[in-house]
Amino acid sequence: MELLDAHLVPAVDGVAFGLLLFVVAAGLSLAFGTAGVLNLSHGTLYAIGAYTGAELSDGTWGGLALGLAAGTAAACVAGAGLSAATAPLARRGHLAQALLTFGLALIGGDLLIQFFGADELPVRVPEVLDSSVTLLGHRYPAYRLCFIVMAVLLAAFGTWVLTRTRMGAAVRAAADDPQMLAATGHSPRAVHTGVLAAAGALAGAAGVLGAPIIGPGPGTSENVLMLSLVVVVLGGLRSLWATFAAAVAVGEVQTLGVSVAPELAPYLLFAAMAAVLVLRSRFAEPAGAGHGSAASGPDPVARLRGRLAGLKRSSVWRDRLPRRNRAPAWLARLPGRAAWWRAAPLLVLLGVLIALPALLDAYSISLAGSALALGLLAVSVTVLTGYAGLPTLGQTAPFAVGAYATANLADAGWTMGPVQIVLSALAAAVFAAVVGPAVIRARGTTVLMITLAIGELTGAVVNQLKSVTGGADGLVGFPATQALWGGEGMLEESELYNYVLVVAVVAVALTLLVLRSPAGKLLTGTRGAEARMRASGHPVGRYLLVAHICAGALAGVGGSLMVTVQQYLSPADVGFEIAAFALLAVVIGGTTSVIGALLGAGLIVATRDWVAGSWPGHGPLLLGVLFVATVYVLPRGLAGLRGGGSGGGGQGGPPSDPTGSPGAPGAPGTSDTPRAEDQPPSAPAPTPAGKASP
Amino acid sequence: MLELTGLTAGYHGGTVLHGLDLSVPAGTVHAVVGHNGAGKTTLVHTVAGLMRPSAGTVRLDGRDVTGQPAHRTARAGIGLVPQGRRVFAGLTVDEHLRLSYRPPRRGDTTRPSVWTPARVLELLPRLGERRGNRGADLSGGEQQMLALARALLGSPRVLLLDEPTEGLAPVLVRQIDALVTTLAAEGIAVLLVSPSPAQAVACARTLTVLTSGRMTLRLAGDDARADATELHAALELTATGA
Repeated sequence: MELLDAHLVPAVDGVAFGLLLFVVAAGLSLAFGTAGVLNLSHGTLYAIGAYTGAELSDGTWGGLALGLAAGTAAACVAGAGLSAATAPLARRGHLAQALLTFGLALIGGDLLIQFFGADELPVRVPEVLDSSVTLLGHRYPAYRLCFIVMAVLLAAFGTWVLTRTRMGAAVRAAADDPQMLAATGHSPRAVHTGVLAAAGALAGAAGVLGAPIIGPGPGTSENVLMLSLVVVVLGGLRSLWATFAAAVAVGEVQTLGVSVAPELAPYLLFAAMAAVLVLRSRFAEPAGAGHGSAASGPDPVARLRGRLAGLKRSSVWRDRLPRRNRAPAWLARLPGRAAWWRAAPLLVLLGVLIALPALLDAYSISLAGSALALGLLAVSVTVLTGYAGLPTLGQTAPFAVGAYATANLADAGWTMGPVQIVLSALAAAVFAAVVGPAVIRARGTTVLMITLAIGELTGAVVNQLKSVTGGADGLVGFPATQALWGGEGMLEESELYNYVLVVAVVAVALTLLVLRSPAGKLLTGTRGAEARMRASGHPVGRYLLVAHICAGALAGVGGSLMVTVQQYLSPADVGFEIAAFALLAVVIGGTTSVIGALLGAGLIVATRDWVAGSWPGHGPLLLGVLFVATVYVLPRGLAGLRGGGSGGGGQGGPPSDPTGSPGAPGAPGTSDTPRAEDQPPSAPAPTPAGKASP
Repeated sequence: MLELTGLTAGYHGGTVLHGLDLSVPAGTVHAVVGHNGAGKTTLVHTVAGLMRPSAGTVRLDGRDVTGQPAHRTARAGIGLVPQGRRVFAGLTVDEHLRLSYRPPRRGDTTRPSVWTPARVLELLPRLGERRGNRGADLSGGEQQMLALARALLGSPRVLLLDEPTEGLAPVLVRQIDALVTTLAAEGIAVLLVSPSPAQAVACARTLTVLTSGRMTLRLAGDDARADATELHAALELTATGA
């Protein structure tokens, strides 16, 4: 009883918070589950409502009603606009949608700050509610109780519409089989637009009513988006009640959790999300789990399979041999004209990168250095997203491991560059090996969420583990890195840049070599036709784990370079924003292109820090415009600029049909979920996606 | 009356259906028979508006509906019972009926007959017993009934049946045959597509054999019922030809 007494207020707060999240997350879940739109600008819709509500609130009921009407309407219109914006992307997969909606969120956030100012707006609730009531001996704000009632009513109304009306039936039918809905005379496009408008209205209403709880400010959108993503992931897309339970649970973690166990609170949320996802993907794929153990076990079938796999692999090598034997060995090693042509962009890029220090000022040179470090991070994301088919938002975790390893090594007096690089890569690889099993069993957007949780958990650790990471203050003042034995610590920007360039070139060259080797082909095969790879005896899980470890090491090298070039490290350098940028750089680059990923990272850093330098404070706006423009102008990313569709420097992979492109026009856009069974059964194309690339 | 002239359609680059001419007068059954991959489902999807033809026209009682999106062709009076039934897994039978019920516009007296949920349940009583069950929980035969009910509730002028007896027990197959005949007698033009000639012979006034997207034989149903050798020969030729 005493326990209840002490925690009553946070517990009730948790309910209010959870209900708020439920209303927001229901919209997100509706948009994703029934309209197929992964809406990363959903938090911005909430912010639109919250700002409007706060602006119009004047302490009267009329102000609240007016705010509610205006905020809901504004967010509803924005949602409908989103439907129009995503319509051309219907067949391009969730990554293209993520790029678009993230860009729109950045633009929207910037515009909201322009319009309403950068400070948190005060909210004035109606005077009657601006008091406190007594709740089992505790004073409690009346508005929150009133909000609980309103949110329950809103949730009940939404549930009633969705489950009891003809309109709701049409929405559920559209999620199930849009073609058959059309065959009954309802336009799926209209349903789609209606769903996104309704999702916007829900977010807007939640924003107006919830403004006194999560107030309108610059961080609101991201905060709300992240929490509602967690709710949607925990609750799944199937049932509103599960979403409801998840929302209240998340609300309680955020309030009751903080008051009961403040030490654990930062981890609880994402740890729960990761656990749910990993368990769910394990239950969903018993075949995968069974295969992993069978291949290593002693049973004869598995051994036979292993031998078959060995044969397969050696035949890949044998195919390559005759070509080499045609001419003297050394001649054959010289690449032919086609190879030079294919490598041309890479060589041009290399030339430009070498010439950069002579062309730029010190600040720009150091920007170019950090762009290279981020480029390596993006390349590691390409390896996972484009080649292994595991779209990731969590590569900042090994990146962080590498970065903090280097910073701590330097602090301990290990300032030798190559040693730092190797040890950081090793640390990151070990980290990737540990978390790998949780990642590689899932596919598609589930991977995105699991890796997001891993990234956020790492971020929480970084913030808590002050002795190693310096916490939120970051690390600064460690000795400079020496490029080679006998040298001195590098302090000049151009020196640092050259060091970073050399390491990056070596790392990228190694990556390209591996991707172009049979190992790269095995990964591509896994992404394209996993079931067939399994059936031909390939231990797919092991390939993916190795790919995950290698990508982790690569990200670790990137992190190490980041520290070396910046001479400073803060949690923001390894946060969600960087993870998102790395993934978006890959999408901009064309998903399976290594050089595209490097260019994408360069483009993002240049836009955010260099171009925005002449228009201070508008970095996000410019980035948003860049993302939105890329989605429409370059449907196949930078790699698509070359015409033939070969993936830039990464030709070792698939020449056509990268994950982010409309490779199989018949199949509706789930290209980041390559498994056939993930796709809705409405695909009219007679050829499965796997047949597309010879 | 459904009229197709020179209908040509395909999937990104490959043409599947080559200039098909075909007409289904109101109140009759026209059966299209052909092997797997002959283009039967492509034909049905093109007529239903789920695919755009690359050439040719689809006319419905003289009105051109070529290339209209599926929901417009459905409203114009083309009902589709797709291959594999494709009922909505998460919707109950009742919700299916409510969602699909689309009475003709007031003043539209050209529909052969107007279907209401009550009338559909009278025709398909089994569905009445499963009103609260979700589409995914129904048996194959019940799903077929539901798919038929869904198409009928738009009060169609033309009914497209894509392999309606696929995977059903023989007793249900006979029931479906009887239903097709009943519906044609109501004045609906029925385009029936089937891989096996048996059902086609049982209820069609006209038969078309489709081979690799082209018509290779057309004969009257009565002739086929009297002597099926020509029909079987055409289909056998298909087998060796392919």
